[in-house]
Amino acid sequence: MTASETPDPVAQATDSAAEGTGPAPAVDAAAHPDALLQVRDVTKVYGSGHTAVTALAEATLAVEKGEFVALLGPSGSGKTTLISIIGGLLAPTSGSVTIGDTDVASLSRKQLTRFRAERVGFVFQSANLVPFLTARENLLYVAGLVGMTKSDARARADQLLGELGLTDRARNLPEQLSGGERQRVAIGRALMNDPDLVLVDEPTAALDTALGRQVVQLLRREIKDRGKTGIMVTHDLRMVEYTDRVFEILDGHLTHVESPSALGH
Amino acid sequence: MGTAGMLATAEIRRGRGRFAAVVSALSLIVFLVLILGSLADGLFFGATGAVRSTTANAYGFSNDAEGSLIRSRLDISDVERFAAAPGVEAAGPVGVLLTGGVGPEGELDLAVFGVDVGGPGTPTTLVDGRLPDPGEIGVAAADSQLQRFGVEIGTTVAVGGESAEIVGIVTDSSYQLQPTIWTSVDTWRAMRDAVRPELRGQPTSINSVAMIVAGDADLTAIAASIPDTTVLTAEATGLAIPGVEQQASTLNSIIYTTLAVAALVVALFFALLVLEKRELFAALKALGTPTSRLGVAVIVQALVSSALGVVIGTLVARGFGLLIPADVPTLFRTDTLITIAVFTLVAGFVGAVFSLRRIARIDPATAIGGAL
Repeated sequence: MTASETPDPVAQATDSAAEGTGPAPAVDAAAHPDALLQVRDVTKVYGSGHTAVTALAEATLAVEKGEFVALLGPSGSGKTTLISIIGGLLAPTSGSVTIGDTDVASLSRKQLTRFRAERVGFVFQSANLVPFLTARENLLYVAGLVGMTKSDARARADQLLGELGLTDRARNLPEQLSGGERQRVAIGRALMNDPDLVLVDEPTAALDTALGRQVVQLLRREIKDRGKTGIMVTHDLRMVEYTDRVFEILDGHLTHVESPSALGH
Repeated sequence: MGTAGMLATAEIRRGRGRFAAVVSALSLIVFLVLILGSLADGLFFGATGAVRSTTANAYGFSNDAEGSLIRSRLDISDVERFAAAPGVEAAGPVGVLLTGGVGPEGELDLAVFGVDVGGPGTPTTLVDGRLPDPGEIGVAAADSQLQRFGVEIGTTVAVGGESAEIVGIVTDSSYQLQPTIWTSVDTWRAMRDAVRPELRGQPTSINSVAMIVAGDADLTAIAASIPDTTVLTAEATGLAIPGVEQQASTLNSIIYTTLAVAALVVALFFALLVLEKRELFAALKALGTPTSRLGVAVIVQALVSSALGVVIGTLVARGFGLLIPADVPTLFRTDTLITIAVFTLVAGFVGAVFSLRRIARIDPATAIGGAL
């Protein structure tokens, strides 16, 4: 599970490509030695023996600070598993994940909880806001987890809500917001703790195309403006135009897509 | 306010309807338990007032009486013997008569107590008028419960043709749920002889000896120094009254069983609530909320619900108490209320603790897509 046990990432990337699972080789971590996120040879196997299922096979990926990348793939392809491992929600069977100088796999459960609170921002598929907290309180909740002072937290929440066009909705409960507004609150919540990494799970699944585009555009702007690193899981090809690079997972194999525009075909 | 408190209180404030259900159930339980508690206290205090609300802290009985004032038979000369026993600071005679009498508005059920006023066994709960003077014949102090039957200072209560003028009112002095009058030993004996002719030839007989004993006195040693006697503390004398201990233990069993039901109600409610919020809790854990904070939020909610249940249940019980007929022995005591409030909060806490394992088992990874 540690980096020292893993084979040469360059060789690995070539191996993946050699299996012919994608249109181009997976991104090579060695080419991005200073990347904020380094995923090396991450494999995840569920079950054991005859019932073992490999959800992710030796995935290698590097994402720079300020980059916003898309992770494409049909359901069951392993993209959720990969993003869960990167976010410290799931332990890999082998391989390593480092964010900055933190080896995520080496953290205890308690340290992982703290790590997620301080360094990762999540945007879930169905927003998953706390239904009995207002939009502003949903943001302040995250500030409470990382021990931000009340005045700093309020100022930051109000600034984020302003940037996301939600100043007038700050005091509304999630049930009083539209789907797009809810997802915008979720983006604000993900940025509230000033994370290094923002992980976004199918943000447009419950939205129509126009709203979906708006939300992803906003997401891109926030990530770029703040110099964060973003990974968005999606199966919606129309959204990849807002990302810097595109990766695809098929049957657990991760590949870098060189020309996303060709994907639709 | 921390994140746990924020979650706990916001959900109660904005999900009032849902919490109203558990608060109503807890209020109902607190109401029921308080009414049962007031009955238990009413029965206990109504039965034992005459031995609790006096200056005596111990009573001497004849051996065959099993601690019953009514059954005990001693002689007036025993008072001197008890007074001389080791550890006894003072002793005085007690005569008791359960009988019927006649008051200003008609017949009354009564307990007549004859004591040497000023000595051990004198009531300490005078609220109006005065007690009879030592040796004063034909006057008595009446328990305030007799006021419902027109007995006041200046009126007369007669027993078997012997009458006593009421000169004072005492409270919390009833005996075996009968209101009392307190008079001299001579007046008591005259009344006794009037209604119990078979005892007329016993001019020196009394029922018991009331004593003030030193804190470290050995009651067994006192009894051993006077042949065929036993000595009990005032508290034990109360519990020895037929039925008192049994009533208390029966009602207390019902009360504690009902409080256990309160714990079950809370446990069930929060088990359902946690089940319903599994997805939300998974997302909050993914965001970096420690399991302990979610647990604290649930416990805070259980304690707030229980506290609201105590407040509402108490108000309803006190309101209902006003509707209970005066002849039903009920007594609302602050001590009992505090005990029941503490037990209800403990029941709420215990009920919520059952949800903690369920919260701990929620996997934050389920917040994102499916497992594969």
